[in-house]
Amino acid sequence: MKHYEVEILDAKTREKLCFLDKVEPHATIAEIKNLFTKSHPQWYPTRQSLRLDPKGKSLKDEDVLQKLPVGTTATLYFRDLGAQISWVTVFLTEYTGPLFIYLLFYFRVPFIYGHKYDFTSSRHTVVHLACICHSFHYIKRLLETLFVHRFSHGTMPLRNIFKNCTYYWGFAAWMAYYINHPLYTPPTYGAQQVKLALAIFVICQLGNFSIHMALRDLRPAGSKTRKIPYPTKNPFTWLFLLVSCPNYTYELGSWISFALMTQCLPVALFSLVGFTQMTIWAKGKHRSYLKEFRDYPPLRMPIIPFLL
Amino acid sequence: MAVAAATAASRGNGGGGGRAGAGEASGARKKKGPGPLATAYLVIYNVVMTAGWLVIAVGLVRAYLAKGSYHSLYYSIEKPLKFFQTGALLEILHCAIGIVPSSVVLTSFQVMSRVFLIWAVTHSVKEVQSEDSVLLFVIAWTITEIIRYSFYTFSLLNHLPYLIKWARYTLFIVLYPMGVSGELLTIYAALPFVRQAGLYSISLPNKYNFSFDYYAFLILIMISYIPLPQLYFHMIHQRRKVLSHTEEHKKFE
Repeated sequence: MKHYEVEILDAKTREKLCFLDKVEPHATIAEIKNLFTKSHPQWYPTRQSLRLDPKGKSLKDEDVLQKLPVGTTATLYFRDLGAQISWVTVFLTEYTGPLFIYLLFYFRVPFIYGHKYDFTSSRHTVVHLACICHSFHYIKRLLETLFVHRFSHGTMPLRNIFKNCTYYWGFAAWMAYYINHPLYTPPTYGAQQVKLALAIFVICQLGNFSIHMALRDLRPAGSKTRKIPYPTKNPFTWLFLLVSCPNYTYELGSWISFALMTQCLPVALFSLVGFTQMTIWAKGKHRSYLKEFRDYPPLRMPIIPFLL
Repeated sequence: MAVAAATAASRGNGGGGGRAGAGEASGARKKKGPGPLATAYLVIYNVVMTAGWLVIAVGLVRAYLAKGSYHSLYYSIEKPLKFFQTGALLEILHCAIGIVPSSVVLTSFQVMSRVFLIWAVTHSVKEVQSEDSVLLFVIAWTITEIIRYSFYTFSLLNHLPYLIKWARYTLFIVLYPMGVSGELLTIYAALPFVRQAGLYSISLPNKYNFSFDYYAFLILIMISYIPLPQLYFHMIHQRRKVLSHTEEHKKFE
């Protein structure tokens, strides 16, 4: 069996960083990354981007050495992706924040509102309902992170955790401040409005969860396979007929209904920002589906049926 | 605001920002400009803007000579100032459609901060219009913009006199601190009037459960000026690179 030699150069400076000899032909990029870490321990595997061309795309961990267009001496270019943090860690941190922060405002912990309001409780039913809904939403997200989601990538750049937490925690505080404020004004159309909003919220939460489960079932544990998602027996998944990312559609619905329920402008603004971001993601996902699958259903739109 | 001041200098000088002309700081530059129609339009745009700011400059001088003092000159150039500074919003469009190779985000930031100072501070709080700080930033902006727009005009025509380039990368040393000071002092002067009138502010309770305190917002804006000295020193550093590079070229001519 012929062994390969692998030299790893810095993509920017072309400096020779590492030379590996006697590499098995069926070694994967993941294994090469592990070998590279041995000589450069500060660059752990998730931080490494190895590519065939300094400006090219990163090679995948699963790629096998002998299947790559290289000679028996392979030259790989390395780029440092920067400190990495696991997706799970980021999700858990960014979702636990809102859960706690909202409760600080709900219980009117001192120094937020005037002293005479410390630890008092709102007299409006909708305020209590809103707390339940908001908390439920984030508990659901935490549980999904731990037990449902199957991530394609293990890690993301470390700076994302600061960016993401600022976003989630900041908005949670901003919304919670007004909803739990002693001068909060309940919705104009009273109980009718709240009931309708609650119904939509519950439907969207169930819908979003159904989609997460459907997506999970598409991919066996530990694998990174990708398939076209289709509607299942669960009626909530029938939205797949019309959109590529019904999870985002339902998520948008949840927040719009929460805005309706609380009649709180900051919630509406949060929904708008979230909608913008999810639309960008949905369009990206939709595009990758179209590129990867020739037979992708043509009726589907990225996030809003028929429109967007 | 912070970025308005950064604008006064970095836009006037290229600095590290991604504005047209800034590429020269990095030496080798790929020439792949806009098409002939876009170039013609941009030349017209930049000429008009140069002219506009010249009108403001002349207006200031004439008003000074007529009044015999430099106080309250704002009123004599209020209209062209509003017109031409607001007109700069077009530059965001230029980046968005790609005829100018700058970042849409950066340009938006810079233009919006200028527009904010003109409309949301100076125009909105009448009491500050007679402040000397207004003259401070108006002069800084006027000189900077005249140089900047003529710089772009000449660059588009591929004939940039060294003097303009020198001016763009040198005068900011004085104009930048001048502009920043003028802007900060103006916002500071506006504060009590904003507080008193409750300008642009909404308080609870209201049916949309929202509040906004413009006074606090202005304080935050002032705080956002803090990173500017850092940017200023960065631009001084960039200046040495750009001007020495040009000097070298001139030696070989």
